[in-house]
Amino acid sequence: MPKLTIDGKTMEVPKGATVIQAARAAGIEIPHYCWHPGLSVAGNCRICLVEVEGMPTLQIACNLLCADNMVVRTQSEKAKGGRADVMELLLINHPLDCPICDQAGECKLQEYSFRIGKDRSSFDFPKVHKPKHVRFSDKVMFDAERCILCTRCVRFCAEVAKRDELDIVNRGDRNEIAVKRGGELENDYQMNVIDVCPVGALTSMDFRFKSRVWFLENAKSVCSGCSRGCNVTVGSRWNRVLRVIPRENPHVNQWWMCDAGRFTYKGNDADTRLGAPMIRKNGALAECSWDEALDAAAKGLRDAGADLLALVSGRLTNEEMWLAKDVLAHLGTPHRDVKPRAFAKDDFLRTGDGNPNSRGAALLGIAPGTGGSGLTSLGSRAFRGAALFGEDLDDRPEALEALSKCGFVLVVGSHETETSRRAAHVVLPGVTPFEKDGTYVNVSGRVQRLARSVIAPGEAWPDWKILGALRARLTGAPAPRTPADAFAEMCAASPAFSGLPWNGLGEHGADARTPEPAGAAR
Amino acid sequence: MPAVEVSRLLKGAPPVGKRQTLDEYRAAGGYEALRKGLGMTPEQITQAVIDSGVRGRGGAGFPAGRKWTFVPKNTGKPVYLAVNGDESEPGCFKDRQIMERVPHLLIEGAILACRAIGAQTAYIYVRGEYPSCIGNLEAAVEEARAAGILGSDVLGSGWRCDVWVHSGAGAYICGEETGMLSSIEGGRGYPRIKPPFPAVEGLWRSPTIINNVETIANVTLIVRDGADAWKSAGDADTPGTRLVGISGHVVRPCHVEIDPAKTTLRELIYDHAGGIWKGRKLKAVIPGGSSVPVLPATQIDVPFTYGAVKAAGSLAGAAGVIVMDDTTCMVDALLNLMEFYHHESCGQCTPCREGTGWLEKLVRRIWSGGGKPEDIALLDRVADTVGGAGAGKTICFLADSAVMPTKSFLKHFRADFERAVAEGGSPVWKARASRRKPAAHAGAR
Repeated sequence: MPKLTIDGKTMEVPKGATVIQAARAAGIEIPHYCWHPGLSVAGNCRICLVEVEGMPTLQIACNLLCADNMVVRTQSEKAKGGRADVMELLLINHPLDCPICDQAGECKLQEYSFRIGKDRSSFDFPKVHKPKHVRFSDKVMFDAERCILCTRCVRFCAEVAKRDELDIVNRGDRNEIAVKRGGELENDYQMNVIDVCPVGALTSMDFRFKSRVWFLENAKSVCSGCSRGCNVTVGSRWNRVLRVIPRENPHVNQWWMCDAGRFTYKGNDADTRLGAPMIRKNGALAECSWDEALDAAAKGLRDAGADLLALVSGRLTNEEMWLAKDVLAHLGTPHRDVKPRAFAKDDFLRTGDGNPNSRGAALLGIAPGTGGSGLTSLGSRAFRGAALFGEDLDDRPEALEALSKCGFVLVVGSHETETSRRAAHVVLPGVTPFEKDGTYVNVSGRVQRLARSVIAPGEAWPDWKILGALRARLTGAPAPRTPADAFAEMCAASPAFSGLPWNGLGEHGADARTPEPAGAAR
Repeated sequence: MPAVEVSRLLKGAPPVGKRQTLDEYRAAGGYEALRKGLGMTPEQITQAVIDSGVRGRGGAGFPAGRKWTFVPKNTGKPVYLAVNGDESEPGCFKDRQIMERVPHLLIEGAILACRAIGAQTAYIYVRGEYPSCIGNLEAAVEEARAAGILGSDVLGSGWRCDVWVHSGAGAYICGEETGMLSSIEGGRGYPRIKPPFPAVEGLWRSPTIINNVETIANVTLIVRDGADAWKSAGDADTPGTRLVGISGHVVRPCHVEIDPAKTTLRELIYDHAGGIWKGRKLKAVIPGGSSVPVLPATQIDVPFTYGAVKAAGSLAGAAGVIVMDDTTCMVDALLNLMEFYHHESCGQCTPCREGTGWLEKLVRRIWSGGGKPEDIALLDRVADTVGGAGAGKTICFLADSAVMPTKSFLKHFRADFERAVAEGGSPVWKARASRRKPAAHAGAR
C-alpha cells in the first residue's frame, strides 16, 4: 500500500494504482483525454502531465505507478505550463467549430481549453483538412477533423465490445480513425464510442442536432430494455425524451450499455399512446372519466374474483407489482403470471430477458400460486375474467384469441395494442418507464431507482396510481399518494425489501435483502 | 594521421552486394563462437557481454549486457530476442553491411544472445527498403537450418533455437524498438508506452530483449575472443569498434569500421571520406544520424566515442555522419529534416503529431520567403513544446529527434535563418522560384 502526496494531500493507495487513479479517488481531477477508467492505458494525449519531486521531466499521471513517498504536484507552474502547451497543440488543427458541433457543452476540449488552455494560439497556418461526416454505421457519425486520436473508441471496440472493428490509418497529423477493411461498425455496443469520445468526433446519428445538450433535462434512471438494469441518464426537452446514455455504476454496467437500450425511448411519443380511460360500450371502446372506468374495472375484477387470470408485466415496478399482488390476494385468485420476453443474450450486458423487473416479480411472488394457472393455460382453460397490468398479448395470437373470449378483460397500458382493441372491456391508460418513479430489481438482485423524465400524455396515470386506486375501491385500503409511499408499504411487508430506504438507494441502488426468491418462485 | 581502418566485424567480408556463404564463414572460423557458447552457461555468456562493456549500437548506447539481466526469471512465458535491423535513421547504412555481407555473423550472435537470455526464438527485423539484406539473411538462415545450426538441435546440443527474418514496410517509426515490436506482431507500428519495458513485456506480452544488428554481431566476437581481447579496440567509454557511415558533401561517401577512440570526426570526414567535395569547405556535420544535434565545422576534432561526441554537443548515435559543405543553406537542410519527421511521425502522441507538422510549416515559411522575424523565436518555442533531448513529452523519441536538429540548427546557424527572413527566403528557394512561377508560401502541404 504505497503512501504518496498529491497536491499536499497524503494518501494511501492500493498497490498498482496509478497517480491519475489515486488523485481521482482523492477528489483531484487531473485533465485527461485518452485515459478512461474502463479502458487500457494508451498514454498518447499527454494532457495529464504532473510534476513529480525528484523526476527531471513532467510525467503522465495515467501511466505513473504510485510509489512510497512520491510527491506529486498537479498545479505547479511547470505542470500547468506543460498542459497548456499540449492544449495549444491539440487545437492547432482542430476546426474550432463549437457553434455547430453536437458535442458543445459536454466537450473535454472546451472544458480543458477553458480551464487550462491558453487564450490565443501562435499557429497561423491553414489547418490540416480531413474527411467530415463519415458514416461509421447507421448509429455513429465520424468527423475526422474534430478527432484528437485518443483511441478510446478503438480500445472500446477491441477491449470491451470484443470486436476489433476500428483502427487508425495514415500517419502523423494525417491520422484518421477508420472502420477496419472499409466496413461498418457492427457490434451491439458501438454507441458507447460516442460516449467515450471526449470530443465531437463521434456523434450519435439518432441524437445529433436535436438539441444543445445544455438545454436537456437529465434524469438518473435505469434502462428498461432488459433485466440488466444498466444505469442511464435520460435527456429530455420539450417533454420529449431525446437520448438515453449510460451512467456509471460499478455494480451493474460500469460505464456501458447496449445500443438497443438507448432506443427504448422510441415509441414514447407514438400515436398509439393512450390518453384517456375507455370502456367498451356496444362493442366499441369509448372514452370516459377515470371514476367511471375505475368503477367498471373494480366491478369486473370483483365479479371474476378467484377465477381471474392476471398478467402482471415484468416491466412494472416493484411497487406496482406489490399493489397488483395485494389486489389479487384480496380477490383470492392464484392465477397470476408474468409474460416472458426472451431475446438473444450475449456474454456482456444483454441478459436475454427483456423484462427489466423479472427478479422483482420473482421476489414478490408474481407467479401462479397454489392451484393457480398461468399464461400458458389461456386457451385450454376458461377464466371468468382477465386483467393485464401493463401487458399485452399482441405477440401471441392464440392466447389473444382465448383472451378475447373472457367475460371481462381489464387492460392497463401505455399504448393502444391489438390486445386492448380486440379484447379489453376496460382500458386504463398507464405510462412508460420514462414517465414514472419506482424501483426495479435487476438480474443480480440490485434494487435500483427508475426516475421520471417526462410527463405522460393526456390523462394517463402512472400504473402505481391506477393500482392504488383499484385497491382502494376493492379493499378500502388507502391508495399510496406517491411511489415512495408504495415502496415503504412494500418494504414493511416484504422480506426481500425489508428496511430499504427509498432515498437511500442513491445513484447506484442497493442489493435486495434476500436476492433469491423464497419458495414462491417458479 | 592516416586513415586507420580496423577489420573485425567485416573481416573477410565479400565486397558490397555479395554475401559470405556458410562454407566461407565456417572456413574463416565461423560458428566456433557458437560451439564455444554452447559449452558455456547462459550466465557466463551474459557475463562476457557485461565484461566487454559493449554499448547498444542502435544509438542510445545502453550497456547491452546489463539490458540482458532485466529479463525476469520464471514467468512461465517464452522469452524473445528481437534484432533491430530497421536502420531507418537518415544517414545510417552501417547495419546493412553486416546483414548483406556477413549475415552468418549476425545469426551466430543472435543464437548466442538467445542462449544467454533464455530465448529460443529470435526475430531479425529488416528495413523494407533493404531487399538485398532480407534476401541474403533469409538465404543464410536457410543454410544454417540445413546445417543443423538452427532448429530443434543446435549443433547437436539438443537445444532448440530458431531465427526468423521479418521485413519492415517502410516506416521510420518501426525502427523505434517498441514500434518494431508492434510491427512484428502484425500491428500498426506504434511505439509502446513504458513501463512495462520490453524486457518484461515485449513481443506478445512476453519478455523480449531488443538489440541492434551491430550489437548482436559483436556478441559473436565477444564470445569468440573473450571480453578482454574484444575490448582492445575502443576505450572505456566506447569499447569495441564502430561501423560508421559517412555521406553528404564528401568526395567519397563510404562506410568504415574504426577504432572510435583512435579516430576523430575530422578523420572520418577528411581521411576516410576524402574530404569535402568540389574543393569546398566544411560547414556543418551531423555525427550520429539525422536525429542528433548538428555540429559546426569548429567542433570536429573529437574522437568518435559516445562520451567525446556528447561533450562536443551532439551524439554519436547510430554513427551516420552527414556532412554539409559551406554552400549549404541550413534552412534548406532543416526543411528536409522537418519534412521527414513530419511525414514519419506515427501520430500517436499529441506533441509529435501536431508539433512536427507545425515545425515543418514554420521552417517552410522561412525557407520560402514568407517568414516573419518573430518566426525564428516561434520555431524555437514550438520546438520546446514538442520535445527535446530527454524531454519525455512523448511515448518515443521521434519528437525529440525532430527537436534536437531544430534547436541545434538555430543555435549554431541562426544567421542562415535570419538571412532567409530578411532576404526573402532560402537561396535554394529563390533559385527555384526564379526558374518558375512564384508559389504560395503559406506552407500547407
